[in-house]
Amino acid sequence: MSARPQQRRHSARDLETILGVTSALAAPFDLMTMLAEVVSAAKQVLNADRGSVWLYDDAADELVLEVATGIRPVRVPAGAGLVGACARNRQIINVPDCYADPRFDPGVDKSSGYRTRCMLTLPLVDHKDVLVGVMQVLNKGGGGVFDDHDEALATALAAQCAVALQRVRMTEAVIEGEKMRQELEMARIVQMSTLPASMPALPGYDVYGTFKPAELTGGDTFDLAALDQGLLVVLGDATGHGIAPALSVTQMQAMLRMAFRLGATLETAFKEVNNQLADTLASDRFITAFVGMLDANAHLLRFHSGGQGPILHFQAALGTCARHKPTSFPLGAMRLSALRPLVTLQMQPGDILVLLSDGIYEYHNAGGEQFGEARVEEIVRSHHGESMAQLSAILLDAIQTFAAGAPQDDDITVVLVKREPEATAHRSFERSFDAIEDIVAFTAATFADQGIDAELLPAIDFAVEELFTNMVKYSTMSSAAVRIDLARIDGGVQVTLTDYDVEPFDVTRAPDADIELPIEQRKPGGLGLHLIRRLVDSIEYEYSRESRQSRTTIRKTRAGRPDAGDAAKIGEEHARH
Amino acid sequence: MLAIDFGPNDVVVIAGRLDAAQSAAAQAFLDQVQGKVTLDCSALEYISSAGLGVLLKTQKRLMAADGKLRLSGVNRHLRDIFEYSGFDQIFEIEPSR
Repeated sequence: MSARPQQRRHSARDLETILGVTSALAAPFDLMTMLAEVVSAAKQVLNADRGSVWLYDDAADELVLEVATGIRPVRVPAGAGLVGACARNRQIINVPDCYADPRFDPGVDKSSGYRTRCMLTLPLVDHKDVLVGVMQVLNKGGGGVFDDHDEALATALAAQCAVALQRVRMTEAVIEGEKMRQELEMARIVQMSTLPASMPALPGYDVYGTFKPAELTGGDTFDLAALDQGLLVVLGDATGHGIAPALSVTQMQAMLRMAFRLGATLETAFKEVNNQLADTLASDRFITAFVGMLDANAHLLRFHSGGQGPILHFQAALGTCARHKPTSFPLGAMRLSALRPLVTLQMQPGDILVLLSDGIYEYHNAGGEQFGEARVEEIVRSHHGESMAQLSAILLDAIQTFAAGAPQDDDITVVLVKREPEATAHRSFERSFDAIEDIVAFTAATFADQGIDAELLPAIDFAVEELFTNMVKYSTMSSAAVRIDLARIDGGVQVTLTDYDVEPFDVTRAPDADIELPIEQRKPGGLGLHLIRRLVDSIEYEYSRESRQSRTTIRKTRAGRPDAGDAAKIGEEHARH
Repeated sequence: MLAIDFGPNDVVVIAGRLDAAQSAAAQAFLDQVQGKVTLDCSALEYISSAGLGVLLKTQKRLMAADGKLRLSGVNRHLRDIFEYSGFDQIFEIEPSR
C-alpha cells in the first residue's frame, strides 16, 4: 500500500472528523469513559457498526477487554487470535471475510447472535513506541469492506487514541500511587502518635528516645514510660513494607502498655502480647522487640527480647560494652509455650543501656558498607559522659557523615537509658591540724558543686574531722599527706580518707566508749569513733600491707540506715551525763 | 541472585542472597515442600528479615502437618543472624563444618 493515492483521497470532512475526535480525546476522562470515547470515535471515522479496544497488560503479556465496569474483563494471551497477532506484530490486519480466516474465533458471534462480516484490527502504539492495546472495528456501513483509505484513516486515528489512552492509564497510576502514599502517611501519623510525647523524669537516670522515620516504609517504635512496675523500656521493629508494619508496631505498643497498666509482669506481658500477635499477624510477618523494666531503686534492668539485638550494656567501670542476645524469637512469629528466663542487667553508676534499631546498624553508604556495631560502640565509649540527648545527636550525626548522602531506607530508632555517674572530687591535705579549715571548705564546696543534700553536711564534717584528727594524732611516724575522696552516691554521699605509710588501725573495731561511766572514769579518746558510728550509715576500713595504706570509707544518705534513730538517742543520753 | 532447588536425597539446596527481592521466588518454591525437610544453606550468603519471614511461614505450614524445616550448613555469619533474631529457637540449625 502506497501513501500517495490514499492522501489524495482524504477529504476535508475526514480531517474535520479526526480533529474533532482528537480534541475530544484531550478531555480528562477516566479509563472506562476514554475507552468508550475511542470506540465511538473509531466507529464514526471509519463508518463501522461496532468497535472495541483491548488494553495490553505488560506484566501478564495479555490483552484485556474491559466489557463494562464491574464485569470481569476478557483476557487473551498476546499472539493468540487476530487481536493477539496484531499485538505481537504491531501491524494492521484487514480481514474482508472473517469466516474465511482461520484466526477468527466465531465463538463470540455465537454467544451474542451478532454476525461479524469484515474486521479491521490495528495496534495502538503511543509516541514512545509503547504498545498500549489493540483496536478492532467491525462491519463497514453499507455492506462494504474496509479499504486502503480506511486503513490510513484508522492508522492516523489509532495514533491519537494510543496517546490519549496511555495518558489516562498513567494518570490513573499516579492517582493510585498518591492514594497509597496518603494511606501510608495516615498509618505513619498513627505510628508516630503512639511515641512518648516527653521523656519520663527518673531520679538518678537520664533516659532518651528518638525516632526518625524513613521516607517510604518502616515499622519502628519505642516506648519509655514510668509505670507502677518501674520504667518501661521498649524498642520494636516490624518487618515488611508499606502500611502493615507501621500498623502492627502501633498495635504491639498499645498492647504492651495496656498489659502493664493492668499489672502484668514482664513474662506475662511478653508472652501474651506475642501470642496475640501470632494469632493476628500474617504468617510471614513478625516484630522484633526489646521489652524491659527498670527498677531504679535496685538499679536492676530486667528484659525479654524477641529477636531484637544486639543489646548493648555500656559498663562505665570497664569502659566497654557488653552485648546481650535476645531471649526469644520475634514477637508474633509463633505462639510461645515456654519462655527462657529473662535477663537482668545490674546498672552501675555511669552504665548505659543502648538500644538501636537495625536501621542504624544496617545504614549503608554509597559503597554498600554498613554502619555496623563497631562504630556504635566506639561512639558510646567516646561520648558516654554526655547527656543521652547529646549522645543520640552525636550518633545520628555520625550516621549522616558516614552515609555521605546515601538515603535512609529504614526507620531509625534510638533508646538510651543511663544511670547517672556518681560525681567524685578528691584532694590531699597536709598532716596537720592546720589543714582542718581547708578540709571543711573543700567538703562544703564539693557538696555545693555536686548538689549533695546540705542536710548531710554537719555529720560528714564531724566524721571527717574526727577521722583526720585521729590520723594526725596517731600516725606520727608518717609525713605523707592525707587524701580525701568525696563522691555523691544515690541519695547521699560517700567519703574515703586514705592515710599513707602507716600501721594498721581498724577504726571499726575500736570499742564503743562506755558512756554510762561516771565522768571521772571517762577517757577523752574513743568518743569520736563512737559518734561517727551513730551519725553515718556505714563505716568501712581497709588496710594494705604492701603499700602501708589505710582506707576508711563512710557513707551517709538522706534515708539513712534502718537504725538511724540510735544516734539521736545516744546523743541525748550522752548529754545527760 | 538466588537459586533454590532439590539436591540429592530430597535436600533443598539454597544458594546466593535471600533478600527482599528474592523472597517471593524462594517462597514459591518452599510452598511446594512437605514433611520433614532439610534446607542446605552452605551456599547461602545472606538472609534479610524478608528471608526470615519466608522460612518462618514455611516452618509454620510444615509444623502444622507434623513436619519441619531443618537448616544445615549454616555459616557463622548466618548463625549470628539466626541467634540475634531468636530464630535459632524456631529452627533446628546444624552449623557448617
